[in-house]
Amino acid sequence: MSNPDELLRIEGIRKTFPGVVALDSVDFDLRRGEVHVLLGENGAGKSTLIKMLSGAFTPDSGRILAGGQEVRIQGAQDAERLGIATIYQEFNLVPDLTVAENIFLGRQPRRFGVIDRKRMEAEAAVLLERVGVRVSPRARVRELGIARLQMVEIAKALSLDARVLIMDEPTAVLTSEEVEKLFSIVRTLREDGVGVVFITHHLEEIAALGDRVTVVRDGRSVGQVPASTPEEELVRLMVGRSIEQQYPRERAETGPALLTVEGLTRDGVFHDVSFEVRAGEVVGVAGLVGAGRTEVVRAVFGADPYDRGTVTVDGTGVRRHDVGAAMAAGIGLVPEDRKGQGLVLDASVEENLGLVTLRSATRAGLVDLKGQHTAAERIARQLGVRMAGLGQHVRTLSGGNQQKVVIGKWLLADTRVLILDEPTRGIDVGAKVEIYRLVNELTAAGAAVLMISSDLPEVLGMSDRVLVMAQGRIAGELPAGEATQDAVMALAVGAPGAPSDPSPSPTSPTSQTGTEASRGH
Amino acid sequence: MATDTLKSTTGADGAPGGLRRVLLDNGALTALIVLVVALSALSGDFLTADNLLNIGVQAAVTAILAFGVTFVIVSAGIDLSVGSVAALSSTVLAWSATSAGVPVVLAVVLAVATGIACGLVNGFLIAYGKLPPFIATLAMLSVARGLSLVVSQGSPIALPGSVSHLGDTLGGWLPVPVLVMVLMGLITAFVLGRTYIGRSMYAIGGNEEAARLSGLRVKKLKLVIYALSGLFAAVAGIVLAARLSSAQPQAAQGYELDAIAAVVIGGASLAGGTGKASGTLVGALILAVLRNGLNLLSVSAFWQQVVIGVVIALAVLLDTVRRKAGATPAAAGTSPGGRGRQAATYGLAAVVTVAVVAATSLLHTGSASTKPKMGLSLSTLNNPFFVQIRAGAQAEAKRLGIDLTVTDAQNDASQQANQLQNFTSSSLGAIIVNPVDSDAAGPSVRAADTARIPVIAVDRGVNKATADALVASDNVAGGELAARTLGDRLGGKGRIVILQGQAGTSAARERAAGFAQGLKSFPGIQVVAQQPADFDRTKGLDVMSNLLQAHPDVQGVIAANDEMALGAVKALGSKAGRSVQVVGFDGTPDGLTAVRNGSLYASVAQQPTQLGRIAVDNALRAAQHKKVASTVKVPVKVVTKSNVAGFSG
Repeated sequence: MSNPDELLRIEGIRKTFPGVVALDSVDFDLRRGEVHVLLGENGAGKSTLIKMLSGAFTPDSGRILAGGQEVRIQGAQDAERLGIATIYQEFNLVPDLTVAENIFLGRQPRRFGVIDRKRMEAEAAVLLERVGVRVSPRARVRELGIARLQMVEIAKALSLDARVLIMDEPTAVLTSEEVEKLFSIVRTLREDGVGVVFITHHLEEIAALGDRVTVVRDGRSVGQVPASTPEEELVRLMVGRSIEQQYPRERAETGPALLTVEGLTRDGVFHDVSFEVRAGEVVGVAGLVGAGRTEVVRAVFGADPYDRGTVTVDGTGVRRHDVGAAMAAGIGLVPEDRKGQGLVLDASVEENLGLVTLRSATRAGLVDLKGQHTAAERIARQLGVRMAGLGQHVRTLSGGNQQKVVIGKWLLADTRVLILDEPTRGIDVGAKVEIYRLVNELTAAGAAVLMISSDLPEVLGMSDRVLVMAQGRIAGELPAGEATQDAVMALAVGAPGAPSDPSPSPTSPTSQTGTEASRGH
Repeated sequence: MATDTLKSTTGADGAPGGLRRVLLDNGALTALIVLVVALSALSGDFLTADNLLNIGVQAAVTAILAFGVTFVIVSAGIDLSVGSVAALSSTVLAWSATSAGVPVVLAVVLAVATGIACGLVNGFLIAYGKLPPFIATLAMLSVARGLSLVVSQGSPIALPGSVSHLGDTLGGWLPVPVLVMVLMGLITAFVLGRTYIGRSMYAIGGNEEAARLSGLRVKKLKLVIYALSGLFAAVAGIVLAARLSSAQPQAAQGYELDAIAAVVIGGASLAGGTGKASGTLVGALILAVLRNGLNLLSVSAFWQQVVIGVVIALAVLLDTVRRKAGATPAAAGTSPGGRGRQAATYGLAAVVTVAVVAATSLLHTGSASTKPKMGLSLSTLNNPFFVQIRAGAQAEAKRLGIDLTVTDAQNDASQQANQLQNFTSSSLGAIIVNPVDSDAAGPSVRAADTARIPVIAVDRGVNKATADALVASDNVAGGELAARTLGDRLGGKGRIVILQGQAGTSAARERAAGFAQGLKSFPGIQVVAQQPADFDRTKGLDVMSNLLQAHPDVQGVIAANDEMALGAVKALGSKAGRSVQVVGFDGTPDGLTAVRNGSLYASVAQQPTQLGRIAVDNALRAAQHKKVASTVKVPVKVVTKSNVAGFSG
């Protein structure tokens, strides 16, 4: 059984938390020089599994073998000793230190007790070269965009002589050409004999990069298949049933314009942005990261100021930079940073659902707690939030359920214009479809939905009209029928071709270098 | 000792399931119960109704301040200004009710309005000025303290009688401060749990951006949150002043840290989003129980501070360990993990008990004996003068076979009131008090009088109460002597500066009066500056350095104590004793050494060891119902190089 190429083997792992069985009899193995994809819905137990390998959790029962020997991984040091490096979605980098310092944090080369900067930077430069990223070892990490941060993390892992590299949804925040770059680095590592555990929700990435796939569902490993397995089969394994339609958009009858934005400008950020969203309509906003989409919707919602232009809802003007006024007009915003801006993580589901209606549920300074509870109960049931109870802290919910809570709080407030900013980022297929159904219900009830998404198939599949933004301007508008990936990308990269001219290839844009996502905008 | 530990554990084990859950879910409450059990086993005086009410009174001011701070901490802010704001509100109350002649009701309203106004300024700076809460409230800490000194002109103001009733008891047994504390606690719980503003605090503290994007008007809410904190500080200030029958500009110094400690011990996180009124109350009670218990056990004043620090850390540690093990849902008791957690909690509780018991029994010197017991409450032990009083008193007590407990009020009138209350309730033979403030000691001494315990005042008198004797040096006469000595040395003319003592203390006032008196006979001497340096050597150095910039040509310095005089000598450098003559006051060992080597020209020596000795003598006479003179003046004398050899304090 002891395969010399085997780096890691996990047998019958079980882990429970108070009241929950997170993992039960999970098997997994990793060989030298392979990319092993870990696939599963959010909350299926993937994160718990990799935390066992990185030493954050210890299993209740079961065995972990490294190189054929049973090991106990009690902490980060143990993992480091075994050559296991993990790159989480939230990076473990210190913003105000340099790239080189971050790579060698805690292990800086020293001479006479003083840090040997020259040697450290030289060694960092070699590592950065190996991952193929052009960034100075002396640059401050704060100044880097997300893609480069990830490369620095990989360089850090290499500096530890990692034989096992675990990557938790590394592509979730990258643009498509950044993803390509990442893939080529991972392929190089694979050729060097590193074993890579790769977590992703993007099924198309599996065929492109992976060798084998282990599917996890409800805390159990339900199958191990080659990466060439058809997507429908993977989805069926993952959700336990087949999903007939990934984008179940049902077009509702469109009414008059509900949200009208005219000439919205914030100098240096976005310019002369005009559009309208009708009742019963889903308008998608596509574009590269950094095109100004988030900035525009935040300004529409009153979260940030703008210099010129008007926002009207149902014919009435909305005061500038005033969240309260926007809400009173019926606008709601589901922000892109779910944890940082959408939720109070250490508060309960009930409290989060009641946040928007807190004011309207207040009489003479007193909150109608009973009413809030009833409303939260109703909406949680309607949205199918999977939770232990309304008192559960939202931090412990899976991503999809967290997003349902964010949307739920706006549904409670009778929102007529709902702005969704990257509504399905980091959410599994099953929960995605549930959120799309919600959008259908909303538009059927006469609401207007404005949806920003970097996931092109989603924009195309769910929108009735697609706005494409590039460099702070609306580059074009495409009706659902004419919107294809090529047409949208052509507008997004600012290529001269009109939508009717599908010649420019979106996969090799030249003007795109440097349009890297800035961190947490 | 072993039985004590056993008792506390079995007590918790035998408790019904519901109680056990409450204890497991609330580390601070467990710590409080452990403390109470341990202290009542160690001291027979602890678990009496009177003493428990005392603890309530002693916790009241900290608890009320802490309730206000809870709002701020839950919303992820911090308020360092509450102690100063309390002092400002109380001086505004006293000043407007006495000097300005405003009706008392209106004066109370004014005091509360002052607190709210301070809070609003904090809130405005933080919400609209974008100042970090730490900095904004640190600024207010200084501003409010300064304003309270300005309003009161540095002296304590006696309160009108009707306000003092707030510090009395209801029906002869229920202290009003306890009632106010409970009321404010209920208001806090109600605000946090039921109101819009309260629920918003949790949302803002948990995630301010999410709260803003959910339509909460975060800036306006912050104004209200800090205003509430100011309001609670004002109420605490009124209670504090009522209890002492006097508004002290220097009151409640450092109380903001006690309040923050109480909130955190109570389970709130400084990162915001969590915290409860009940937790804060428990936190404040832990601090009060500790201080009270350590007084009763006669733990040395210095060790008390060490023990309090250790217990604060252990209490929070207990809570953190419990939390880290995970909040215990219903099923936890049955799973093996739950058992481990319980074991950890009990284990840590046992460690706390053993630590407290061991520390106190190790440190408490008093043993159950037939010796007469006495208590000595000193205003401070930060100053060699008072350390010498203690030395003299302790030596005499040892000679006479008296069991003497010494406490240190750290220059805080209300802490002294607590200590005197504890002395009274443990029915000592006699109490010796060195008042932080003569007016503020009044109510406590009256209580001792009622309990028929003789009281001897030392160094400073007690107002509006009968002390059996006052043992003191004559500060006015001493001040006069100091001025004459310098005047003679300078030949009746020259430019001098005066370093005054801490504003608001009687010693500073009386000595300053003495200086003025003495200088009258030297019209040729010009006082170019008078500045307070708070009886402190470092401040004496700083103030003198600053004054030298403005007046490089001074020829003489009178300092209201030796510490400041020595600071001035440092600032003068080689000039001291040559071109500039410095005269100090007190005759402390350091001061006498400086006189011996010539850098200090003279010191008006009190004889602090004599003060301590004579006070103990008189206390014993009073305890034996012998007659004592109402005033015992211990002579002061001028010590210069010529007579220093033969002098000893």
